[in-house]
Amino acid sequence: MNDLFVIIDATNHGSFSHLTRHRVPGAMPYAAKFRLIDFTLSNCKNSKIFNVAIFPYGNYRSLSDQIGSGSRWDLNRRRDGIFILPPKVISSTFDNEVSFQRMYEHIEYFNRSSQEYAIVTPANLIMNYDYNLLLNDHIDAKVDISAVIAEDNERLKTYIIKKSKLLEFINHYDQIQFRNLTDVFDFSTSLIKQTIKINVPSFLINSAKDLFHANMQLLVKSVRDTVFNDERPIFSKETMSATTRYGKEANIKNSIVASGAIIDGEVINSVIGRKARIEKGAKVVNSVIMNHGLVEEGAFVQYSILDKETKVLKDSQVLGDVDKLFVSEKKQIVTSEKSLSILQVSAEVNPFIKTGGLADVVGANAEEYSKLGNKSQVILPLYPKIKDKYKLLLKHICDKTINFANEDYKAALYSLSNTNTVYYFIETYQFFERDKLYGYEDDGLRFAFFALAVIEFLESLEAYPSIIHIHDWHASLIPLLLKEKGIDIKTLLTIHNIEYQGKFNNDLINVLNLQNSYSFIRPNYINFLETGIHLADKLSTVSETYKDELSYEFYSKNLVEAINRRSRDFYGILNGIDKEINPKNDLEIKMPYDLVNVFKAKDVNKLDLQERLGLTIDKDKFVIGMVTRIVEQKGFDIIIPSMEEVLKNQEIQFVILGTGDEKYLQDIQDLAKKYPDQVSANLTYDATNPNYIYAGADLFLMPSRYEPCGLGQMIALKYGTVPLVRQTGGLNDTVEHFDLSSKRGNGFKFYNFDSRDLVFQIKHAFAIYMESSPDWKQLIINAMNSRFTIRDSAQKYIELYEKIIQNQ
Amino acid sequence: MKKIISMILVGGKGTRLGDITNDKAKPAVSYGGKYRLIDFTLSNLSNSNIDVCGIITQYEPQELINYIGNGSSWDLDYVDGGIRFLTPFLKKDNVLWQKGTGHAVKQFFDFIKNYQAEYVLILPGDHIYKMDYLPMLKEMEKVNSDITIASKKLSEDINRFGIIETDENNFVKSFKEKPNNPTSNLVSMGIYIFKTKVLEELLFTQEDMYDFGNDIIPQALKNNKKILNYEFKSYWRDVGTIESLYNANMDLLNDNNFLELNSSKNLPVFSRSLNLEPHVILNNGDAKNCVIADGCQIDGEINHSVIAYKVIVKKGSSIKDSCILSNVIINENVKLEKTIVNENVILPKNYVSENEKITLITENNLYEVGEINE
Repeated sequence: MNDLFVIIDATNHGSFSHLTRHRVPGAMPYAAKFRLIDFTLSNCKNSKIFNVAIFPYGNYRSLSDQIGSGSRWDLNRRRDGIFILPPKVISSTFDNEVSFQRMYEHIEYFNRSSQEYAIVTPANLIMNYDYNLLLNDHIDAKVDISAVIAEDNERLKTYIIKKSKLLEFINHYDQIQFRNLTDVFDFSTSLIKQTIKINVPSFLINSAKDLFHANMQLLVKSVRDTVFNDERPIFSKETMSATTRYGKEANIKNSIVASGAIIDGEVINSVIGRKARIEKGAKVVNSVIMNHGLVEEGAFVQYSILDKETKVLKDSQVLGDVDKLFVSEKKQIVTSEKSLSILQVSAEVNPFIKTGGLADVVGANAEEYSKLGNKSQVILPLYPKIKDKYKLLLKHICDKTINFANEDYKAALYSLSNTNTVYYFIETYQFFERDKLYGYEDDGLRFAFFALAVIEFLESLEAYPSIIHIHDWHASLIPLLLKEKGIDIKTLLTIHNIEYQGKFNNDLINVLNLQNSYSFIRPNYINFLETGIHLADKLSTVSETYKDELSYEFYSKNLVEAINRRSRDFYGILNGIDKEINPKNDLEIKMPYDLVNVFKAKDVNKLDLQERLGLTIDKDKFVIGMVTRIVEQKGFDIIIPSMEEVLKNQEIQFVILGTGDEKYLQDIQDLAKKYPDQVSANLTYDATNPNYIYAGADLFLMPSRYEPCGLGQMIALKYGTVPLVRQTGGLNDTVEHFDLSSKRGNGFKFYNFDSRDLVFQIKHAFAIYMESSPDWKQLIINAMNSRFTIRDSAQKYIELYEKIIQNQ
Repeated sequence: MKKIISMILVGGKGTRLGDITNDKAKPAVSYGGKYRLIDFTLSNLSNSNIDVCGIITQYEPQELINYIGNGSSWDLDYVDGGIRFLTPFLKKDNVLWQKGTGHAVKQFFDFIKNYQAEYVLILPGDHIYKMDYLPMLKEMEKVNSDITIASKKLSEDINRFGIIETDENNFVKSFKEKPNNPTSNLVSMGIYIFKTKVLEELLFTQEDMYDFGNDIIPQALKNNKKILNYEFKSYWRDVGTIESLYNANMDLLNDNNFLELNSSKNLPVFSRSLNLEPHVILNNGDAKNCVIADGCQIDGEINHSVIAYKVIVKKGSSIKDSCILSNVIINENVKLEKTIVNENVILPKNYVSENEKITLITENNLYEVGEINE
């Protein structure tokens, strides 16, 4: 009777912060007692569909836990039933939508399914709807593919298509330019398409914020009555809990409470999960508390999502706000921010010395920690450049003779305070009195000594640290040396770029004169970063996606095993960018701007850019900008051939600023020769501020092969220059692909490291720019509204420090 | 071959529960907001790892059968056993209505024989308690008794039960069903373990063995069977009357950790999920000192009460010291005190029923026990 089978797309990672550390989005708790996937599965049952396949990513245990045999949805059938189809090729896991390639891996399933039509729908969609209505609509309209959109035009990533048609795409996945059905729907010219707008509330959940919003919407009667109705009940795994209990002092308004919860405090506008407990005198406002959460006496929680088993200790204040929710991790113990004593150790720190992004992160966080009420200290080597510039400000603290490699070295400690942050510098003539920071034969010795000296000077610091935050390989021996010396201070190691590891030969091992033996220190070499990875209390890197990527050998190479061994202690925290980076206060650009005058200013700045660089002056040209190191990592192997192709269109101009590998520089110069009016190649180390490019370009290109966090795309967003990036690392976490239907998204993303896909996206962006000016303007607004602040980033680090100190 | 199988006797109409059991068997009666009485017995079986359970039903079994289904909610769905409903059937030319608990077991003795079990556990289906039956069996095996009776020391209401007297070795020396002048405060819980062959002998060699308390146990004593007393020391309540149903609900309400119902350890109590959304407390709602089940919408004030699933309480209403059973709609400005409101009852606006003594409100007596207060 039913001619439909359902493909549930559970490949989307979303951006859920801590919430997806232990589960996939489909298994996310919702509405106090359900999981997101319950809605899709219940729709199947209520539509009498009994052939369902789920395509999950990575760790889908939480999902199979929830689904079991599928009997709750009558999906444990002799004929058909429910099938979980995991990825066969483990490396390709960062798609945001199930690809035809993934489907091809399970082509037998498609061949075996006897139904004529397929619905492809995400696991993280809250919607209570009869799929047969969608099918009827699709058949009546006599179209090839239907896309379902929400009342507010948001795309629900739900498609209806004939199986035979779908099979054509699947079977030819390697010959077509479409990766998935969204591509097909957006770009195919040969299919007849329609959108179906559904008239019930629906929520596609891609982030913690979406989840919060969807929970809060349940407090609206009309939404609640459609999401939950008697005709189409939502089925869920059976659990065991007592009836909800309210105590004598309970005070509850406008809230949803699941069974097993015990409420003895005040609850307003909140959703309280199974067996959660709100104690006497505690207050919970505008929050989502998941199963087994505990808010102890006198605590106050607002605008928060507390994951399962989170415990908010007595009298603590957990204060999120509308724009920035507080999101806890499963089993986290939350206390009011106590003041911590933090020591950061890094080889470079802005504003004193800087060769890359590392210095910015350390410096900015250090200042922010102080502002948040912590004791913030930083320690780095004293290079001659710093000494020259800050001579008058440096205060001599003490001298020490340090025995290292059987010799005595004299080391001096200097300090410099900026309001409440204290910077320490270690001076040692033999090791740091050099022009460059790195690149010497004895770098191993130099930074081994640095690590040792940091530990020797611990007692001399203004405040003894409760946590030492180590950055990159230069300081990575600290956990080892602490252990050797029996000093108990907790450590966090942040990996800014795993390519730099500090590998040295066995001479250095002898120098260290270790008392204990360690399996990861091989007889013939020592790897600083690996040592840190094994021994630091916790690890982090600079974006969630890069953290996930590092569990694959493709990204973490020789360290994949070490990383995976520590996966439960490994976190991703996105860098923020400085508030000072703002086109409104930028005096280097022709016309400073903010959201009010951006469209006018963009034109003015574009003309200025074209004039400065000698391009054809025309405000309607589409200017693609790049400010970058010109190296393989940044994607030049696909940029060069793509540009060859794209620049055939004379409406497109290409501006690049940077320097790097000779090979690519030559290629770029050739391009510039070939298209002199369209290309401006500025291939020197240019000390002038590159902001006129950020201000004047339309599109900012950053198709990196890998990118731990990335700064350029964040600056571009601030400047309303739409980023086009590859879906990797921090690029993936900061750029959301623009959706023509809902008008959400702040840029363009593509997945395959392949010039065909890059060209495709550039042409797509160009088409929107030329043909759909309102959409392009919306993109610029969305871009400028993106938020990546240093405070957000610093607060996440502080939460992590607290977790480490509490041994969680 | 099973070592032990169980038979639950659902029995007849619980007349003393009035209209509450009009359309359902007693074990299907709602309790504590989200439970039915049968949940306790089924959960006990599940926690005792007893995997065969015959449920003998006669009176209005449909709701109970629907509720229990295949027993999967209690993990009692087994390939080689599980739950079987044993309902009256036609034999030759007359329907075999059961004449008592013993008679019912006799009728379905083929079911027991089929499993060739060594022991049969006989259970009532309408008591509130948490018990692992295996230690009882173990005691029995230790002394090699023929029958074991679970008992409980009570201080009141004693003459509603069978009264047990024991000898110094804890064997039953006398058993009197509902005597006028009880000689002991040890009452039978109606839970028996029989050696199968002893039960067969008692049922089939003697005529008119209709009832366990009145006929079978006294006969067994007469035949010098060894009957062990097994005293149960935790919470137990037989919900036979409106008052005892109310009191049992208040027991749950007044003890924050009643029977550890919220714990998944230590003999958890399961119930069937009804796929309801969690309840919502609206802007005018207030909930103090109460329990509320899923699917409710509360916009009135609830104080010291038990609210079962899918109850709607509208603005201005106040409910005190009451048990509201499922699917009840309470319209605006209703005042209730010391009531049990039966399932599916709709209370009109401004309805008032405030009582000193516990009062059952049903569709039929709505205006006898309360009035519209304009």
